[in-house]
Amino acid sequence: MRRQHRFFVWCVAPSLAVLALITLLPSLYLLVTSFTQLNLTRPETQWDFSQPFESYRQILADSRLHHSLWVQAKLSFWTVLLQVLIGLLLALLLNMRSGLIEALRTVFLIPMVLPPIVVAIIWKVIYTPDISPMHGIFRAIGWNVPALITDPNWALTAIIIADTWEWFPFTMLMVLAALQMMPQEILDAAKVDGATPLQLTFYITLPFLQGVLLVAGLFRLIDSIKAFPLIFILTDGGPGNVTEVTNYYSYLQAFNFSFLGFSSAITIALLAASVALSWLIVRVVGWGVRVD
Amino acid sequence: MSTRTRTNRFLLQALAVTLAVLALAPFLWLLVMSFKTNAEIFRFPPRLFFEATLDNYAHLWTSEFRRSFSNSLIVATATTFLSLLVGVPAAYALSRWTAPGGNAITLWILASRMAPPIAFTIPYFLVYRHLELLDTLAGLVVIYLTFNLSLVIWMMRPFYDQLPRSLEEAAWIDGATMWQGFYRIILPLSGPGLAATAILCFLFAWNDFFFALILTRTEAMTAPVAVVNFMNYEGWEWGRIAAGGTMIMLPVLVFSFIVRKYLVHGLTGGALKG
Repeated sequence: MRRQHRFFVWCVAPSLAVLALITLLPSLYLLVTSFTQLNLTRPETQWDFSQPFESYRQILADSRLHHSLWVQAKLSFWTVLLQVLIGLLLALLLNMRSGLIEALRTVFLIPMVLPPIVVAIIWKVIYTPDISPMHGIFRAIGWNVPALITDPNWALTAIIIADTWEWFPFTMLMVLAALQMMPQEILDAAKVDGATPLQLTFYITLPFLQGVLLVAGLFRLIDSIKAFPLIFILTDGGPGNVTEVTNYYSYLQAFNFSFLGFSSAITIALLAASVALSWLIVRVVGWGVRVD
Repeated sequence: MSTRTRTNRFLLQALAVTLAVLALAPFLWLLVMSFKTNAEIFRFPPRLFFEATLDNYAHLWTSEFRRSFSNSLIVATATTFLSLLVGVPAAYALSRWTAPGGNAITLWILASRMAPPIAFTIPYFLVYRHLELLDTLAGLVVIYLTFNLSLVIWMMRPFYDQLPRSLEEAAWIDGATMWQGFYRIILPLSGPGLAATAILCFLFAWNDFFFALILTRTEAMTAPVAVVNFMNYEGWEWGRIAAGGTMIMLPVLVFSFIVRKYLVHGLTGGALKG
């Protein structure tokens, strides 16, 4: 028994040690940096803790940051909503037994598995009027549509469309997986009682899917905080800063303006938000407790 | 089946096919574009039958992109190998034995997977400057472990949960050590799980853009970053951008198709089985 115990400890120890070294330590370093005014162009600022909370004070004062939070809220709200809705509807549509439909399920996964940078390139092509088939069609039918990603009124919508296209397969896949676990007897019983397909969907299927929709939405919410390649390639945060989400602003502060101290403080806040949401997921899924 | 339900079924399938074509159109457009000359790219309406050219690919093959492509291959392979080497024994042990503080570890691992990449990028960037790991393949391999190691642990554990303990116990009785029981009996049986996990690790490393953008310059640049440089420095070479994008996504499409059963599992950091 002791031999077993020792063996298992030796199996787990390397992983925990490596994880501590590559994730825990850097997070602590990030926290430490957030208490400095680190500016890469002025090396003496690296270990200067004379004003430890200056960065956090700036967070409260920086209106560009507050604007980025608002942009983030809009982006998160619309992408999560649209992805959950489209994913759900498609999953319901694709939940039938047929060879064709099963092949289509795989086809629909393509946007999600594409490398994010390729997704960004695809939409750059679509949003660039000179070569865009979409703009070509608009011109052909006489619509005068502005270049979406350079128009302040449309840029964020353009990002939302692209992001929704990239990630609706995720919710679709999760809902499909849940649908396959739905107890068939309940459906059969309701059918015998004369329920219409619409009633089946509203009174049986949707309540059954509540949990998985919540979890899928949470995962998409966390991911929406990290949105980067699309914004980087399509709009670079602009025009002006209408598509500048918080994560992107933090990136600009750190790697364009060299204010790593301030950026660290913003990132700590982002990190806290994603840890809180992860905790929520663990609670909802009841995960970590052994299922089998 | 009544005629009405059959018509309904047909209509629903037709709808599904239409939606699939619509959803895939942007992707197919890029694919086709990679075989077009510049003149053809700017033509609207596009001709259905144009003279396909491989010039865009030929140019990539003779440019710096080739090295970036092999950088991507090396880094993704190395990080996959390391994650499996370190993570698989841990997954096995966590399946057979309740580690103290299990719930905290769970949250830690999920959170490290869900954390915004910039949270790791800033400290890694600062430390790598001192360790001279900026713009090196080794530096990328290490930072990719941040997401791949936890992926391995949480992908593999359920596979081991499914294997009965009696398997290795029988081996112990026959005089095998615990290590031999794991290495000779359990490991070969988890082959399919290992393959799926390895592919997902490879894909996540291969797809990364942000870490490589910040932590590399020229030497260790990976393919996704190299493609973006076609936009910045050499003007807008759409044909080459499309060809580069296609080269990056082809291995991904092939591999994803193989592991499509495990995609949900991988994307949620093992929180859900697909």
